[in-house]
Amino acid sequence: MIPAVSLEGIGKKYRISASRSSLLKETLSFGKVKRSHDFWALQDINLKVRPGTTLGILGRNGAGKSTLLRIISGVLQPTTGTIEVNGRLTAIFGLGSGFNPEFTGRENAMLNGLILGIDHQEMLERFDEIAAFADIGDFMDQPVRTYSSGMRSRLGLAVAVNVDPDILVLDEALSAGDAAFKKKALQRMYDLLDSGTTILFVSHSMGMVKRFCTDAVLLHKGRLVTSGSPDEVADRYQELIESAQEQKDIRVSGPDRGLDEMLDREEEEDLEGVRSSNDSTRDGGVTASSRRGAREAEIQAVQVFDEKGETASEVPSGSTVTVRVHARFAVAVEDSALGITLRSKKAGVDLFSTDTEEEKTSLGPKEKGEQTTVDFTFGVPLQPGRYAVSAAISAPREEDPCLDQAEKAAVLKVTRDGSELSGGGLVRLPTKVEIHSPRSGQERPSQLT
Amino acid sequence: MATHTSSAKKSAAGAFFDALASLYHRRWLLRYFVHRQVTRNYRRSYLGFAWAFLGPLIWVFFLSLIFSKIIGIRFRVVEGDPTLNFGLFLYCGLLPFLAFSESLNKGINSIKGNSGLVQKVVFPLELLPFTNAITSLVDKVFGLGALLLILLVLEHRWHWTVVLLPLLMVIQLLFILGLTYLMAVVGTYVPDVAEIMRPIIRGMFFATPILWPTGRLPESLSWIVDYNPLAYLVESYRALILYGELPGGMATLYFSLFAVALFIVGFAVFVRFKPGFADQL
Repeated sequence: MIPAVSLEGIGKKYRISASRSSLLKETLSFGKVKRSHDFWALQDINLKVRPGTTLGILGRNGAGKSTLLRIISGVLQPTTGTIEVNGRLTAIFGLGSGFNPEFTGRENAMLNGLILGIDHQEMLERFDEIAAFADIGDFMDQPVRTYSSGMRSRLGLAVAVNVDPDILVLDEALSAGDAAFKKKALQRMYDLLDSGTTILFVSHSMGMVKRFCTDAVLLHKGRLVTSGSPDEVADRYQELIESAQEQKDIRVSGPDRGLDEMLDREEEEDLEGVRSSNDSTRDGGVTASSRRGAREAEIQAVQVFDEKGETASEVPSGSTVTVRVHARFAVAVEDSALGITLRSKKAGVDLFSTDTEEEKTSLGPKEKGEQTTVDFTFGVPLQPGRYAVSAAISAPREEDPCLDQAEKAAVLKVTRDGSELSGGGLVRLPTKVEIHSPRSGQERPSQLT
Repeated sequence: MATHTSSAKKSAAGAFFDALASLYHRRWLLRYFVHRQVTRNYRRSYLGFAWAFLGPLIWVFFLSLIFSKIIGIRFRVVEGDPTLNFGLFLYCGLLPFLAFSESLNKGINSIKGNSGLVQKVVFPLELLPFTNAITSLVDKVFGLGALLLILLVLEHRWHWTVVLLPLLMVIQLLFILGLTYLMAVVGTYVPDVAEIMRPIIRGMFFATPILWPTGRLPESLSWIVDYNPLAYLVESYRALILYGELPGGMATLYFSLFAVALFIVGFAVFVRFKPGFADQL
């Protein structure tokens, strides 16, 4: 199949210098004075994008994401390598960037559409559609200077998504507007996807990439680090951010860890309702994709309850939760153990793991078709964040002991409410503090919990 | 269909004609660009677009008033044609000069001034200088209209040669386009050029027979007019509008050839350098 976009050995070099006059001095000195240095914004990028793919490009600020998109769309020329684009490409970097404040929304929409390469006649025909999508009412015939910034970007997006490209390149464009508008924009993106449009887009939001993309790549310092499924790449990205954050945490004390969590959540709420069908993991239903095991037993559901015994997806830090696992045995099993694992999504490590055997409780022999329910109740003195709960049943035997395993069967969200956590670390361990003062020669225990 | 491949180096001529064709393909965009630039300044005023014509009209009116009633008599003698009003003589020379100086100034800024578009949208950049050139000429058409109106009021007649003005303006457009394209490239890569051009443009004003009639020039200095393409334009405008004469045949031929060559060179240089524009901003 002919790739929609094919990049080979793409590199982009910039010459960094304080000013043009220092560049002149350097040129005039014939290499004796060196005041500039080369900076490779991108290096050795090889990438093939199949038609119909939605490719998410992840990476931290300055990783080269926008540069890459600009090279693909043809705004920038690569320093090295070759690029091939097959199909009509539309690139949107920032919405309504070409708008002139003195002209009306209608005039600007027309000009914007023409700039993007839409035919004049086509533009006239689509005007009602665009006006309806932008949903700014009578403001359509008012000068753009009277618009709010939200209205401005809505109009920009309305024009942009009404182009019917084969390849659509988006740079953070979807983050404009309120939740309702975002939903509408996403729905339109899905429509484009269904019609076979190849979409390349940059995002800082892993949630967006996971939900929206079929493939993803991770850029770091101008190089393509990983490519693959959105989940894998998002995990790598997460690791990257965390390793960077750890380094920072040594120097900066007390960073607000809740902040990115909050942003994540906000985004997720915005996206709710847009194609919720692929969301079956949410309330304990277990999807097949995350399953492993011989299926001699089946974990049917994993639920999380709070202190009041109500199903909860959110619990305050420091409270007690109950994880309830429903399992059914497909064959008779003499002895088995059921266990759960709590994994920190942010840190990417297993925090806590236990099973019935560990807790000195026996499941006992099970008949074929017998069902069982196990409750694990424990405290969560954890940092606010998301935690995945996995469950597994195993049997003590020589061959593969795993009867069934449900990865990330439930999500537990720990909130900041009433938290007495200090800034650092993943958990709060019970602590006692004693001060030994050598001068008074006398021990003075004091508790500072 | 391959929309773009930067690996395959197109031949210079191929790129040249592709760019030329894009001017035609995107003519609607060009129209909207020009419309936007021409009307932009009058948007907020009560009379709106009427100012495009009223502005020059007021100017011509004052020029002819000042030079005919107040200090005009002296110049009429100098001019050698007592029927000719010096204010009109001056304005007639100013029109082609302003088109020239604007195309230089706007040309320098045509890429820098649109950095938002150049860095963010993929579209034929050759439209930007083209828009500037057309706009400054369209502007002068309104000035020309005002001049012709005043001429009718003061002298009660037009020379038939006025109908040849559009032809002259086509050649002038090529001249202006060539300059604008050249300046767009130079101004983007060497921003200092804007500073150099300012004194040059002022010098050109005095080196061109705008304030003075060519007849007064001593023989030894006649090259100033002979090798100055602007002088040809100024003289031809006056010949067609004020004197009812035809511009010199050889001079017209030379200027036409020069204008065509300037356009080809300017456009080719622009096409050659435009891939790097986004990096320069």
